[in-house]
Amino acid sequence: MPLRPLHAALPLALLAAPLLANDAGGGAGDAAGGDRYAGAVARTVTALIEYSTWPSRPNPLTLCVAGAVSHAGQIEELRLSDGRKAVRRNVAPSAAALGECEVLYLGNMGQPAMRQLVAAVRGKGVLTIAEADPDCRSDAMVCLIYLPAGLSFQLNIDAVARSGLRLDPRVLRMARGGS
Amino acid sequence: MPAPCESALPTLRDILARVHLRLILFAVILATASLLVSGALVIRNYSQRNLDLLAHTIGYTVEPALVFGDDQAVREGMIKVGGVVGIDHIEVFDPAGRLVADWHRGHTGMPQWLAHRANAVIWPHPSVDRIERGGTAIGEVRVFGNSGGLVRYAISGAIIALCCLALTVIATRILARRLQQDVIEPLGAVGTVAHMVRSERAFGRRVPPSGIAEIDHFAQDFNALLSELEGWHAGLTSENAELARLATHDPLTGLGNRALFERMVGEAIGQAVRSGASFAVLFLDVDGFKAINDQHGHDAGDAALREVAERLRASVRHVDSAFRMGGDEFAVLLGPLFNRAHVDAVIERIELAMGQPLLIPGFGDASLGLSIGVALYPDDGVSPQDLLRRADAKMYKHKHDRRTNFEGGMNDA
Repeated sequence: MPLRPLHAALPLALLAAPLLANDAGGGAGDAAGGDRYAGAVARTVTALIEYSTWPSRPNPLTLCVAGAVSHAGQIEELRLSDGRKAVRRNVAPSAAALGECEVLYLGNMGQPAMRQLVAAVRGKGVLTIAEADPDCRSDAMVCLIYLPAGLSFQLNIDAVARSGLRLDPRVLRMARGGS
Repeated sequence: MPAPCESALPTLRDILARVHLRLILFAVILATASLLVSGALVIRNYSQRNLDLLAHTIGYTVEPALVFGDDQAVREGMIKVGGVVGIDHIEVFDPAGRLVADWHRGHTGMPQWLAHRANAVIWPHPSVDRIERGGTAIGEVRVFGNSGGLVRYAISGAIIALCCLALTVIATRILARRLQQDVIEPLGAVGTVAHMVRSERAFGRRVPPSGIAEIDHFAQDFNALLSELEGWHAGLTSENAELARLATHDPLTGLGNRALFERMVGEAIGQAVRSGASFAVLFLDVDGFKAINDQHGHDAGDAALREVAERLRASVRHVDSAFRMGGDEFAVLLGPLFNRAHVDAVIERIELAMGQPLLIPGFGDASLGLSIGVALYPDDGVSPQDLLRRADAKMYKHKHDRRTNFEGGMNDA
């Protein structure tokens, strides 16, 4: 237990990679009805999936969306550059509903609920992305950050290490102030 | 005008030095140029591969950043990987041709124009790496090489070559001096000896051994030739002396002949004119020589003449000289005189010597008389002809007087 604070502090301090989604501004009047981040979110999620490696290389991937989402308007069926697909599935925010998920997109919900869901998939090879946790306290692997200039994201190295997934080291290195 | 023409000829040392210099210059320049060129080619080849590798590495590094659209991350990844020596600048474009990020090396330690010029020559084209993801291009990296290293290599190579050239020139000088000592000095010794022989007739000189086979052979032959020349020269000299002696001396008595006498009288006049001294000429005629010749033959006559010459030679001073004018006529040239008494003393000695009986080997005793005529310079004449004529006349007068006295004596007895 004495190790815990150090361990917990590390990922939070580590990674803050701002994603400057320049085209997000241009796409302000898209299907999401004025959501200027929707395109950037879809692109970022796609890229994150692409740079993550599952042990079994599933195709298509199941992208589970839980909770109340506000920027996932363009996440429907994502095409990956290697030809695979990621299919969206809205699920109830409960641990039991996450059995077939490869990606878990967490919408707005309470911190305890998020932690609970993340804990439920830890070590099972699920990429967890928090839409509404800018401080990244939910233990999700990726936390989206909304900046005036565009979309950015933060990586929780600790969560990445325990996820059972392999994330491309180049993505890890992209974090400013990272190693 | 042979002198300037001779001095315009190059010396052997100059030629050797020039040939050496050219040879070494050629070698150094050839070696330097080939080293520089091959070195530059090898370096450029490796640099090209390095650029290609760097472009590829940068492409790999910035690929996720391009996918995420993070220009800042692109820039950072690019600099982290590509900001090394040998790179001039890097550009990353997205598929639309927009410049996403670029990086330029700052001060390179070279003048800007030189760096630009060299870069344009050595790296006219950048190394290009297309970044692809799933078969679609997502960007392009262009890496432009920096020629600083190559230029520095070329400059340092050129400086080293110049240093080598300077060393070469010094070495050539030393070599040329060596050559001069080893080769040209022995040759010069031969030349000196030849010159001495020609100008001073120093046939005794010999070329010293040089220690070089070819020159030693040459010197030996030259010395042998000199020995032969020396022999010929000695023979010629003695023959010439013999001929000259024969031309001016009487072979029978060894005294000077008439020609020598006339020349000596001429010289004596010249000397007397310069010094103001006087001299005398004696004419002598042997009385009774014909009788010996007739009675005892020519051999006896010759012996008598030799004896007379010998006595004459013994009677005169060392500054005087005796001559045989021909037949039984002799002459004496008396050197510088102060007065007549000297002449009389000499005449007295001659008459005393001639008064002794003449012993002719194989023929017994004979007695000879001597008629003497004297002419003094300048009292009896100032030209050789005058002097000789005067002496001759006096001699005949003397002879005549003696004959008269003798006959008178006979008559008295």
